[in-house]
Amino acid sequence: MDRLKRAAVLTRLMEKLREKGSWCGETHVQKASFFLQELMKVPLGFDFILYKHGPFSFDLRDELTGFRADNLIRLEPQYPYGPSILPTDLGKKIQEINSKTVGKYEDRIEFIADKLGPKHVSELERLATALYVTQLPNARASVDERSQQLTKLKPQIPLAVARTAVEEVDQIIGEAQGLIH
Amino acid sequence: MPKNIHEIRDPIHVFVRLDNHERKVLNSRPFQRLRHIHELALTYLVYPGATHKRFEHSLGVMELASRVFDVVTNPDHVTDEIRNSLHPLGNRDERQYWRRALRMAALCHDIGHLPFSHAAEKELLPPNWDHERLTQAIIACDEMKDIWNSVTPPLRHEDIMKLAVGTKKMKDSQFSDWEAILSEIIVGDAFGVDRIDYLLRDSHHIGVAYGKFDHYRLIDTLRILPTPSAGEDGAGGEPALGVEEGGLQSAEALMLARYFMYSQVYFHPIRRIYDIHLIDFFREWLDGSVFSTNLEEFLRLTDNEVTAALLDVASHQGKAGYLHARRIVHREHFKLVYERNPNDTKINPEAGESVFKTLQGQFGENKFRHDRYRQKGGAPDFPVRMRHGQIVSSLAVSETLNNVPVVSVDYVFAERSVFKEAKEWLSKNLQEVIKPKEEVDNG
Repeated sequence: MDRLKRAAVLTRLMEKLREKGSWCGETHVQKASFFLQELMKVPLGFDFILYKHGPFSFDLRDELTGFRADNLIRLEPQYPYGPSILPTDLGKKIQEINSKTVGKYEDRIEFIADKLGPKHVSELERLATALYVTQLPNARASVDERSQQLTKLKPQIPLAVARTAVEEVDQIIGEAQGLIH
Repeated sequence: MPKNIHEIRDPIHVFVRLDNHERKVLNSRPFQRLRHIHELALTYLVYPGATHKRFEHSLGVMELASRVFDVVTNPDHVTDEIRNSLHPLGNRDERQYWRRALRMAALCHDIGHLPFSHAAEKELLPPNWDHERLTQAIIACDEMKDIWNSVTPPLRHEDIMKLAVGTKKMKDSQFSDWEAILSEIIVGDAFGVDRIDYLLRDSHHIGVAYGKFDHYRLIDTLRILPTPSAGEDGAGGEPALGVEEGGLQSAEALMLARYFMYSQVYFHPIRRIYDIHLIDFFREWLDGSVFSTNLEEFLRLTDNEVTAALLDVASHQGKAGYLHARRIVHREHFKLVYERNPNDTKINPEAGESVFKTLQGQFGENKFRHDRYRQKGGAPDFPVRMRHGQIVSSLAVSETLNNVPVVSVDYVFAERSVFKEAKEWLSKNLQEVIKPKEEVDNG
């Protein structure tokens, strides 16, 4: 996917997240993009690693800064937290120009926004990390094993909370199958 | 009595002090090589003062890294919440270990730079190699391992590698929060001392004031703070480098210094086209068009050998790289025929790409070069502890930070033989050239 098509998909994702009540800061965009790419198979081309706040892509961070440079998105301060990210008029125009690409992935974007839009940052971090451990080479691991793995990676997350996150991810994965295939 | 602490004069930090182990690193072959790697590649062809080297920059980064470490780990500056989440803060021996590892990592953070620094890195190394990977390989080589093992307690080379290159460049390694914070001290987006040193040092040598800011005040007010964003639903945020409210203006000055240095110095168009000519030269001059990643061969090659080759090749038609060497040595660089402007980007954010391809089609493929760069890293969003104790996002309290422009470069250069004609043609056809094309469904 080339850069402007990616801009179209990501700005659409931001719009949809906001429609579902998301504050849509960078963490929200990072985690939603992780789900969109890794679960929904939208070929965004980002490289995600497990960072302080769960799965994170430095490439995506750079891309968002580049979008700001090109006036495709803008930041809106949200006291006392980090800013929200909004598409600009030019960002919306890029969506129109790339409407075929946006249309192709619209239902997957809608699905992820629906699932993640209402979540707080710490919930998103847990869910995204749960998806991360679910996608590790031991993908068939049980809920218990994955919950333990999650708490090992993020010791501040209690086991019961980790278990809830893993179960929720399993449910999301199940519901997503119809859209992926 | 033998000296255990050694002082080196430095134009930015006055004195840089080293202990015996750090001096062993200084005297090592990989580190001495940095005496012959220009900090700013061929920038001296535009700003004659830019002849300083990675060697003194690395010393400066070490000095600043420990200054920051001492401030942010000062028990009076650490809250119980942070102390509980970062265990080495509560253990004197561990703190000492990591301070030493941090200084060594800072000293070595550029040790894997290619000749002429960044100028040609991406294009001229085998796939999956960059200077950070070379840095890791050198830190882990036998000569350096002997130094790490001579320290009491021995330093783990893996720790030095992590802190020297950071999370972004070691994607396969897990970083603890503590390790991530320490690597942020060196290479962090907001307050990395690598950047603090190069802004101050480059500014000093080049003779521009843009890169100067009150780094004393900034460093004095740095703290490890919980990020406010993660506290949205009442949960404590994970630790990051931030500032006390009193340091906010110096942090703003750092971000502005960065913007001005990038727009005025690092992305000066003539500086950029010399980098491109240098890359073209390397492609033809190097065996197999890439630098060797064999450490012995790598360590043998510095700016000195490359400069000698440029001078030699530029006067011998027929030698590999002749044309490009000539462009550099005889200042026959390509000229700027197009640069981005707000009106064009409103129509097409990739206007430069369209101009470049069209001009190539019109006047010849080898007559043009395209240079596209967008600032990397995130927005200047870091935690700020307000005087009343609340921790907030910097972007929630600083108008200045919200308005620091993002650097973006989109240049097209033309060979002198077609420059005038291309410029005239473009002025007549620009609007048609940059009109966005209909979407091709390939993604």
